[in-house]
Amino acid sequence: MTDGVSRDSASKDCVSRDGAAQDGAAKGGATIRVEAVSKLYRRMAPGAHLKTLKSALLEGSLTRGLSAAESIAALDGIDFTVHRGEAFGLIGGNGCGKSTLLKLVAGILKPTAGRVTVNGRVAALIELGAGFHPEISGRENVFINGAVLGLTRRQVEARFDSIVAFSGLADFIDEPVKNYSSGMYVRLGFAVAVHTDPDVLLVDEVLAVGDAAFAHKCLRRIEEMLAVGRTLLFVSHDLDLVEKLCDRAVWLDGGRQRMVGPPRRVVDAYRAAVAEAEGEAHRLDKDARQTADGDGRNERRWGSRQAQIRAVRVLAGGAERYHLASGDGAVFELDVAAAEPLDDFVFGVMISTPRGETVWGTNTDLEDYSPGRLAGEATVRLSCPELRLAPGEYLLDVAVHSREGVAYDYWSHALAFTVTARRRAAGVYLPRHGWEFAGGVEWKRDGAADASGKATADDRGQEERGE
Amino acid sequence: MFEPARQIFRFRGLLATLTSRDVKARYRGSLLGFVWSLINPLLLLGVYAFVFGFVFRPRFEGVEPYALYLICGLFPWLWASTSLLEGSMSFLTNAGLLRKAVFPVELLPTVSVASNLVHLVLALPILAGALLVGHLLGDPVGGWAALLMPLVMALQLPMLVGAALGLAALNVHFKDVRDLVANLLTLLFFMTPILYPLDAIPHPGLWWVVRLNPFTPFTLAYQQTLFFGVVPDAELWLQMVLVAALSWLAGSWLFGRLRETLVEAA
Repeated sequence: MTDGVSRDSASKDCVSRDGAAQDGAAKGGATIRVEAVSKLYRRMAPGAHLKTLKSALLEGSLTRGLSAAESIAALDGIDFTVHRGEAFGLIGGNGCGKSTLLKLVAGILKPTAGRVTVNGRVAALIELGAGFHPEISGRENVFINGAVLGLTRRQVEARFDSIVAFSGLADFIDEPVKNYSSGMYVRLGFAVAVHTDPDVLLVDEVLAVGDAAFAHKCLRRIEEMLAVGRTLLFVSHDLDLVEKLCDRAVWLDGGRQRMVGPPRRVVDAYRAAVAEAEGEAHRLDKDARQTADGDGRNERRWGSRQAQIRAVRVLAGGAERYHLASGDGAVFELDVAAAEPLDDFVFGVMISTPRGETVWGTNTDLEDYSPGRLAGEATVRLSCPELRLAPGEYLLDVAVHSREGVAYDYWSHALAFTVTARRRAAGVYLPRHGWEFAGGVEWKRDGAADASGKATADDRGQEERGE
Repeated sequence: MFEPARQIFRFRGLLATLTSRDVKARYRGSLLGFVWSLINPLLLLGVYAFVFGFVFRPRFEGVEPYALYLICGLFPWLWASTSLLEGSMSFLTNAGLLRKAVFPVELLPTVSVASNLVHLVLALPILAGALLVGHLLGDPVGGWAALLMPLVMALQLPMLVGAALGLAALNVHFKDVRDLVANLLTLLFFMTPILYPLDAIPHPGLWWVVRLNPFTPFTLAYQQTLFFGVVPDAELWLQMVLVAALSWLAGSWLFGRLRETLVEAA
């Protein structure tokens, strides 16, 4: 019992968990080794239960001999090594296989192919409070949870005060767990899990549940454990946290390993891919809208149509893009056609946020262009050499109207685009900037050095775009 | 075959913890708490004593007082049937634990059998008291053979754990198992000589059906040790050992085959 449920129960051929005997040999070496691991899940068609049962009984597996159409590859060809004392991040979108990978390392699931080797005692913070029974008190649940995680009763007794102190639930420890808030539940679960004194800590997105104060406490505890040579495998959607906490990271995409390396590089590549995908979605969305607007039925578009906007585009770097890095140049391009020659016309462009705040708007009249004649087809370009928007999503309104403001074609929310930046900021504007300090100010880590270059906003952060 | 047994033995501490969790949770929040473990069988005894003592008055040879005869078979039956019902559901009711923690899963059906065993043991004083009262009132019930009852329970234990393991594993793939088990248990209850003595069955074919029911040897042994106060003969012991061994083998084989697929299917 004392040396851990995980290691004991999972000593099957494909997942080996070697105990203290090999710990010495592994010092400084690999703690988690994932070698060419794949995991298939069987698709569960309705009424397929008899087949599933048959396959489980005859093959001892749910996926052996299944065709590609009958199974889903949750993970495919995953291969990395985590060294002792290392903090290793797992990032990727929902359903990319992060949790499956964590469960394979924990020994809860077995790989379909490949090998997972873990040295040392594992604590999986995947579901906190495993085995908590709602009807009984927090105190008793600590003992049950401790036992499930492989502690003896005596060990739990010895650590009990420290567990309760960590959870901050001393006043509620004799209440039934069903009366706990979900945050309290997680706090107690986390408190027990970190007191099992694991060599390898697997953390799946649990820090997102508690309040900020508790999340900081957990993070401190994790950092303490890292400082004494524990190993961390960390799944999170908080990319800043992954960058801050981890020594290396892997980016999973659709069950495949896209990139392993320094967290900064991996996170940047992932962010770029996400933004790229968003931009692509904006483009498709816009194209669909323009096609649908051909017949003029759109409550976000009005006007006499004496002049008509045929198409709207955002160009960056010479190509149509709907995902820009803050500080990139951008061109807003309109194709316009006049049904009959006009001598009174104004072109306008406005950027707003999805919440309806105007970020910036301008038109040719405000900028003192006096209309002469608009006839036939025309192209209008508004170019900004540096569009210093804060990261976020923006909407574009475009219009052709008379100087009095009578709309020929006013098109609100004609398209959307995404802006990304290395650093976060409040608001909508991200100017070029830098900090300087004099006198008694000291920093543990230099923010500018961390962000590279003298100013954060200079840091385009998208060097690896398109990877 | 012996892997589940080894795991259960190795994690006996966790088994005890989880069993006590189940038992405690059962009465948590109720005013009388554990007293219900005494009141429930007492009320059951009262109801049967009333119905069969005053209302129905069945005339079976040699099983007077009938209510006492009835509970000697009924209390152990309730242990067996509730264990199998809860046990067959145990992987599904604890799916969270199964999917999210590294865990010796064979414990879960075992916990169902064990926690219901605790309830049976808590009811035993009522049984003993009733037999003692009957004895003192001059009925020829009870005797030193009652000391052999724990041995019968010990033999039924692997039978129940084996069956619960197999059923629980099947149930993960096949949710129908639960309803099948529930209905089968109702049928088996009437096919076990609990409400009636075995020799009261008039039809020889039917007699054999009841006699071959795997629960029958245990029921007969409980009745002989508790009610009749006689030591079961070697043949009956052999039958119990055989049933226990077969049930254990079948259940743990089924569990072993399905074990690797449980986490994903649950």
